[in-house]
Amino acid sequence: MNKYLLIFLLALPLAAQDGRTIVAESQKRARADSQRYEGTLEVNDAKRKVSTKRWVYERLGSAGESKAVLRFTAPAEVKGVALLILNHPDRASDQWMWTPAVARERRIALQDRRTRFFGTDFSFEDLEERDVDRSTYKTLGEENGAWKIEGTPKPEAKSQYTRVLIWIRKDNYVATQIECYAKDVLIRRIRYTEIEKVQNIWTARNVEVHDLQRDSRTTMKLEKLQYNLSLAAESFTLQALRREQ
Amino acid sequence: MLLRLITWPYVRKHLLRCTLTTAGIVLGVAVFVGMHTANQSVLYAFNRTVDKIAGTTQLQVTAGETGFPEDVLERVQGHPGVGVAAPVIEATVQTGLQGEGNLLVLGVDMTGDRNLRDYELEKADEAIIDDPLVFLAQPDSVIVSEKFCQRNGLKLNDWLTMRTMEGPKQFTIRGVMQGDGLASAYGGNLAIMDIYAAQMVFGRGRTFDRIDLSVAEGQQVDRVQKSLQAMLGPGLQVDPPSSRGQQFEAMAKIYSMSANISSLFALFIGLFLIYNTFSIAVTQRRGEIGILRALGATQGQVKRLFLLESGIAGLLGSLAGLGFGLLIARGMARYISDFMGEVYGAAQRAEEISADPRLLLTALALGVATSLIAGWIPARNAAAVDPVKALQKGRVQVITEGENRTRRWTALALLALAILCVFFGHRPLFFYSGYLLSVLAALLLTPALCSWLASLLRPFMKLLRPVEGALAADSILQSPRRTSGTVAALSLSVALVIGLGGISKASYETILDWADAALNPDLFVSSSQSVTQRSFRFPASLGAEIQAVGGIDEIQAVRTARIVHEGIPVMLVAGDVQRLAKRVKMRVVEGDPRTMYQLVERGQGVVISDNFALLRHVHKGDVLHIMSPSGRLDLPILGVVVDYSDQQGTILMDRHLFVKHWKDDTINVFRVYLKPGYTQQAVRQELLNRFGQRTRFFVLTNGEIRAFILRITDQWFGLTYVQIFVAVLVAILGIVNTLTVSISDRKRELGVLQAVGGLRSQVRHTIWMEALAIGTLGLLIGYALGAVNLYYILEVTRRDIAGMRLNYRYPFEIALTLIPVMLGAALLSGAGPAEAAVRGSLVEALEYE
Repeated sequence: MNKYLLIFLLALPLAAQDGRTIVAESQKRARADSQRYEGTLEVNDAKRKVSTKRWVYERLGSAGESKAVLRFTAPAEVKGVALLILNHPDRASDQWMWTPAVARERRIALQDRRTRFFGTDFSFEDLEERDVDRSTYKTLGEENGAWKIEGTPKPEAKSQYTRVLIWIRKDNYVATQIECYAKDVLIRRIRYTEIEKVQNIWTARNVEVHDLQRDSRTTMKLEKLQYNLSLAAESFTLQALRREQ
Repeated sequence: MLLRLITWPYVRKHLLRCTLTTAGIVLGVAVFVGMHTANQSVLYAFNRTVDKIAGTTQLQVTAGETGFPEDVLERVQGHPGVGVAAPVIEATVQTGLQGEGNLLVLGVDMTGDRNLRDYELEKADEAIIDDPLVFLAQPDSVIVSEKFCQRNGLKLNDWLTMRTMEGPKQFTIRGVMQGDGLASAYGGNLAIMDIYAAQMVFGRGRTFDRIDLSVAEGQQVDRVQKSLQAMLGPGLQVDPPSSRGQQFEAMAKIYSMSANISSLFALFIGLFLIYNTFSIAVTQRRGEIGILRALGATQGQVKRLFLLESGIAGLLGSLAGLGFGLLIARGMARYISDFMGEVYGAAQRAEEISADPRLLLTALALGVATSLIAGWIPARNAAAVDPVKALQKGRVQVITEGENRTRRWTALALLALAILCVFFGHRPLFFYSGYLLSVLAALLLTPALCSWLASLLRPFMKLLRPVEGALAADSILQSPRRTSGTVAALSLSVALVIGLGGISKASYETILDWADAALNPDLFVSSSQSVTQRSFRFPASLGAEIQAVGGIDEIQAVRTARIVHEGIPVMLVAGDVQRLAKRVKMRVVEGDPRTMYQLVERGQGVVISDNFALLRHVHKGDVLHIMSPSGRLDLPILGVVVDYSDQQGTILMDRHLFVKHWKDDTINVFRVYLKPGYTQQAVRQELLNRFGQRTRFFVLTNGEIRAFILRITDQWFGLTYVQIFVAVLVAILGIVNTLTVSISDRKRELGVLQAVGGLRSQVRHTIWMEALAIGTLGLLIGYALGAVNLYYILEVTRRDIAGMRLNYRYPFEIALTLIPVMLGAALLSGAGPAEAAVRGSLVEALEYE
């Protein structure tokens, strides 16, 4: 998941050349042919009630044209539910959800991408990978050893956000924080912590999303993280979703 | 001033009579307001439900009741003008909870639907409210309204049983909706579930009922509607949610027509009651008028005084009618809701009565106008009173020969015009003008007919009671103005009863004849307890399994669905037409039965019902443009048959054609014919044993279907019986009014009769016989006018209400039943005035006038 959020940076604007360079470099350093991890999500709602979900995440391909499958493993009532994401460099991703109890896949429409991702504080859009050229950006300065970059999605990106602010560490090009705005209102803040090197790729193992409007927080932990492992392309299809219910 | 000095004392003195006078207006306005308000309230409730369910939906994509394939959704979502588009399935299910009736289940895709609808799930468990994943992952999830929970003692995570295609199935309440929005739709009897789970449990295959959408920011709704319609083609309709109300309105139109006819009759009756009373009042107040004129009052002032009186009577009667109408509207609304639910499966309980100010004003204006029209001639006569003659005592009730002649000639002219209108009856204006003119002609002829009939009756009355009979007959003959108004009102009531009773009888006969011919299978296998409920459907494969049950000779799979044809919902019946035709011998109105079914089977056309043809003015050879989800089908009409499966008409097509163009092979009903030697009960039991537990499965016998149809027909005519009751009630009020007036008018005459030795019993009998004579005259003229009225009502039914070609059969049984009812009512009505006549002071009576 953090991969996606990192890649989200790459969707940022290119108003200033140095900003784009930073983002491109960040993307380059995070690049891997495939990825797998077991994730744990904890949602702390406004009433501080906690709910937990677990899933296995697999991704094949590089940023911008990757395919990913996210399969829930717990709790029992959502076990087997899966999400297939096909990212495209030039347009919004295609997403399908598989529900084993009704043995049906449903397409997540583009219009629905601003809605929250299954009760977490992420939106479906936050799961997408986008080409850097679908946004413009400028560097605003430096803060605590990180570049502060402002990104503005281009109209054709059809983003729910009007601008985002990203902080990228100068020493390893890893994003430490993203703030997402809609019409100048800050709606989400994402923080990356427990940053460590896994198979030579700097990766945040802990991601916290704060929905400021709902005052709800989602913490995601990445376990058993592996890069560049061998994954079959045919596992990233609707047929595979149906088969592996 | 004049009102206070002249009118008020008179009203106070004759309060009962004045009250009775306005009764006709009260009832006429009440029926008009009651029926229309009830209709509007049901429609309003339906629209409110549509609005609440629609949320922020601006447009809806539909294809009638049949739904359309899922892939339409992606096309709609891909349209640049569309902001949010969410699929919906609607179904009504039984919960088994006592007193709850049906639950409207809305199948939605929660991933996107909350952009359109606010579920107000404040009370639900947070994880479930915010986590559509749990909701989607568990197909037994439902969200219900707080009202529903409170009524049934349910709470979160409780189970709720619903009868699905998989039999009774337990669902888990995973959310509770609050508020006055969506949660209050359908009286709170609303449940939300995942759309794909809904497809499964309602046997919908891969179809959606509709797509709700809102347009993208900055887009204009009407432009998006047009371009989306162009993109989707004519097989799918793109309309605002309010258009569903318009279709519902079309279905409810038949009640409005019926209400208009009854109200018009009631107002006509009221008109004659007022005319009658005012005519008598003018006579009785000749002295007052004479004094007024002698004191310098102008003719205009006298005329205005009487017109004002009639206007006030009309206003008071109308106001009372408005109140009474609103009072009865609630009961009528419930009745109409139930009927619509039974017939169309589109029930909507009207929780509150919504009175349209325009309707109330129209009713008020109608009531006052009727009263003013009724008061016009008496007011004119009052103004024409000669002050000198007025101060002399004497009778003025005799209609002059000149006046009589004018009326007769006018009546004959109107009659000639009415007959002329019959020849141009295909045009609504001429047809309805003819109807009105014939009624007016009959009413104008009433005084002449009264005199003629009374002179015919006189010998019989004299034979019964030589003195009293003669006196009673002479009273009628000498006071035609007093009597003819009542007789006219009475005959109108009788004519209304004959018309409504006649159509009721003809409808029963016609429907039963059709049921005998068309509904001849031994058993009907349905997925719903009611054959009109089409929320659930069987898979086509079930047919072979049913056919394999012992004792079954043949099964016929039928798919029925309501589609919108030129803005009106009609019934589409898809079946194996050749096999249906072999078993069912429907009366063919147009077309060759030897070839038309073969051509229909080949998909080369359709057969339509007679009522469809009549209501839409189409014939064999015309081409119907039927909209299917795959596009427009241009199919010629190959034949017209008598079929009353639906009040709005039926299109019969071959099932293969339906499957091909609607991409839907599901079945509503299997018609089952048994082999000789097998009983309905035994095979029904076997079918239930095999399939009853596995799926939602109902087996109805031929008798049960016929009973259902009769029940529907009873329900339809239920309100007609209310109208008949009102007609009889108004008639009785008319007799009471006339006799009360008659006694007051003849107080002196009756006093003289007693003074010269007449016994009280003779006076009593005289009045009784007069009452009976008025009743008889009303009956005789009413029978004749009823014959004409029945013709017109049958025509209205044929051309504008139901398209039913009903046989003209005079309802002699009803006519006979009316004799004791009307004469008994007349006698009872005469009892009070008779007693008042014999118990009054003789001296006072002799001093009267």
